[in-house]
Amino acid sequence: MRQSIFQKLFHNEKYKNQQFSEKDSSEEIAVKKQTISTNLNENLEIFSKLYLIPQNNDVNIRRFLVQGWHKEAALLFINTISDTNLLEEQVLKPLSKNEGTFQSVEDIVTAPGIKRVQVVEDVLIEINRGNAALFIEGDQQVYITSVSNFQGRGIDKAENEVVIKGPKEAFNEKANTNISLLRKKIKTESLIVESMTISKRSKNEVYVLYIHDLVDHELLNKVKERVTKINVDSIQNLSMLEQHIEERTKSLFPTILYTERPDRASSFLEDGYIILLMENSPGSLIMPATFWSFFHTSEDHYLRFIFGNFTRALRLLALFITLFSSALYLSVTNFHAEMLPPDLLLAISSTREIVAFPATIEIFLMEIAFELIREAGLRVPSPIGPTIGIVGALILGQAAVQANVVSPMVVIIVALGGLSSFAIGDIGMNFAVRLSRFFLILCASVFGLYGLTAMFSIGLFYLLSLRSFGVPYFAPMTPKYTSGNDTVFRSLVWNEIFRPGYLKPQDMKKTGDVSNGEKQGQNRN
Amino acid sequence: MEKSRGKIGIREFVAVVILTIGTKMADDTPAILFEQMENAAWMGPLLIGALSIIPLYFLTNVFTKYKGKNLFEVTLYLLGKPVGYCVLFFLWVIGGIAITIDSSIYTDIIGTMYFNKTPTLVLYAILMGICAYGAKKGLEQVGSFAWSVLFWIKVSLFLALFLTFRQGNMDFIYPFFGPGKWEVLKSSASNLSIFADFLFLSLIAGFTASPAVFKKGIWISLVIVTIELSISLLSFVVLFDYEPVKMLNYPFHETIRYINLEFLPNIETLFFPFWLVALFIRFSFYLYLNALLFGGLFRVKDFEYLIPTLATLFVFLGMIPETPTFSIFDFREPFLKMITPIFFLFPCLLWVMSKAKGDMKT
Repeated sequence: MRQSIFQKLFHNEKYKNQQFSEKDSSEEIAVKKQTISTNLNENLEIFSKLYLIPQNNDVNIRRFLVQGWHKEAALLFINTISDTNLLEEQVLKPLSKNEGTFQSVEDIVTAPGIKRVQVVEDVLIEINRGNAALFIEGDQQVYITSVSNFQGRGIDKAENEVVIKGPKEAFNEKANTNISLLRKKIKTESLIVESMTISKRSKNEVYVLYIHDLVDHELLNKVKERVTKINVDSIQNLSMLEQHIEERTKSLFPTILYTERPDRASSFLEDGYIILLMENSPGSLIMPATFWSFFHTSEDHYLRFIFGNFTRALRLLALFITLFSSALYLSVTNFHAEMLPPDLLLAISSTREIVAFPATIEIFLMEIAFELIREAGLRVPSPIGPTIGIVGALILGQAAVQANVVSPMVVIIVALGGLSSFAIGDIGMNFAVRLSRFFLILCASVFGLYGLTAMFSIGLFYLLSLRSFGVPYFAPMTPKYTSGNDTVFRSLVWNEIFRPGYLKPQDMKKTGDVSNGEKQGQNRN
Repeated sequence: MEKSRGKIGIREFVAVVILTIGTKMADDTPAILFEQMENAAWMGPLLIGALSIIPLYFLTNVFTKYKGKNLFEVTLYLLGKPVGYCVLFFLWVIGGIAITIDSSIYTDIIGTMYFNKTPTLVLYAILMGICAYGAKKGLEQVGSFAWSVLFWIKVSLFLALFLTFRQGNMDFIYPFFGPGKWEVLKSSASNLSIFADFLFLSLIAGFTASPAVFKKGIWISLVIVTIELSISLLSFVVLFDYEPVKMLNYPFHETIRYINLEFLPNIETLFFPFWLVALFIRFSFYLYLNALLFGGLFRVKDFEYLIPTLATLFVFLGMIPETPTFSIFDFREPFLKMITPIFFLFPCLLWVMSKAKGDMKT
């Protein structure tokens, strides 16, 4: 009922079924479905048409003669995404210099990866991936040699998840590199890398990584199902994919973890989580994610027990300061002034005396100013970056106070909250916290601490009802599951002997013992 | 939205019970006890807790027998359909009255103690709105909420009690038996229904992870709640002495106004949010139970959708008394006395019926 009203409101259905004057592409589709013929020229003509050669500049057809067989052959490849030197060394040279008559292509070509394909469509997929297609007169097969060579940057340091003690390397935009980084950390045959093509036109690929004898296969199927359900022409990278597969797209809080650190991803893999990688994404998606995975950083575990927990305590404090500092200030000064010690109260009121606006407006002004500086500072080109800092600090800090627009106390409160917000590293959680802060401020300005507590309760109720792929958001704290008890604080390294029970891993214990097949975990008491 | 009708574990169960029954020390329950038992009121909860062992023993015994069933199903099975329905309807009415009275009192506390200028209806609507939202999310969420805030609420309560005892005078507990041993016992017995919530708890017996969790949860929380109530009543006495404490309607709120913390002279607002959160949990839970019972009585399968309607109903009912501080107080006392026999006898009746049906042997 509610759905239908919304659909009517936004004309959703109407748009979906609208008729557009589109080109009929059934002819092209039919061409792509046909098999390769024995006639070389016919074949090349089909592909020239599909690739619009010669307009299409970087698609090359190289014809040559295979000496031994006295047959004409042709190589089709895209030179910007293939390694031409490799092609010359391993395919062209051996074939054209070959003098034997009975060998097969596989015997002559020295490239390590070679396979046979018969359908036009499949040939196209391979060429688009940077591989070379070898056509031979009189042969119904096309030989695909893997010579792909996409350009990209090398492995860099992690920029957004910085650690002091621990590995520094980060994922980059090449999926192969990323998989290699993970395999470097988990040297087991059980680490499976499955690939799935998800988009219809751009043929983007997703790599699903999991440890075969740990992961819960029901969960794995759920993830795969959600990935295969997507029906779009193109998904460029993981950030887009995340929005397609997450459960609540309009929710304030993220339910899939994004990390650029291979060490973090691999430690999740070893606990039985599932990881998605994609070409063009310097990161990985980890699912299912709980509130705690957003709250933690990898450094918490690299630091010694006490130091790690100290940073956790600081982060928790920062979380609360970010959420509540401005809202508390508003509710205490507006509604519960008796709570403050008289001296402090007088100090606040004397600075507020000359300010023209009510405290609520003051707070909102400063909060928005801070968010503006933050956003502008992020987008500003680096040569003029320092300018923004000076303008922000001077104009908004000093001058605004001198001009009696805001009181110094509000500057302190907002700056404290803003500073603390940086302690929450994950970008999704960071946004969620910063946005929910505004709700809290609004409620506190209307109903003081009553409104603040009410809004907090609603928020907590909402968070507790969230689920990521069936896993409660606050697991394993509540509801309780057997796990390493890594929630607000972590335990000693050798006490973290269990994998998280909410994932239903096939092997619950992290110690060396082999599981005896008994059903472990899941036992909630 | 994925709806969860999952089961709750022992941690969540105990947390909910502690917060629903434990918050009674912060409403006018102490006032009722003080009026009858004067400075011996702190013995009240202990005696009530001890007396509650009898009905609770029968109750847990019955529910461990009927695994996975809740009060609703068991009552219908043991008492037969017509009688069972009547009894359950009566229980629903009692529950409804209890919610109305209690929420009205709490709104009055918020209004008189902290927000004198805000209209009662607004305060009331916010209170019940949030509780309806929480209850509609389901029992699992209410339980998890209770567990995740339990520690902080108890820390704040501990701080309050600590400061109270530091400023109080321990000699005020004498004469030890207040109005007399017999008086104390009598008024404890007649106010047994302070713990009647335990009876309603058996409505969710089937939603706990196992019957053992229900049984263990009941006993653990009975012990904690008894001690908590007793210590808080004691703290009120040592701070105010028995004559003034009899005149206070909401001793807890007067206490936190009275005490101070070093450089902070007024710290009642420091405790206010924690108390509020406990309040939200309490009424979310009550609303959930009420809707559950209503849904069972009138065969409403998705009873969660009833919660907003019921909450609105309770708001309007609770708005009827014009001076809740006095009228509700006068209404609640006889109400408590009226429920006492039900709380005591109903579990016994269930147990006897179960025995008569021969289910107890197997």
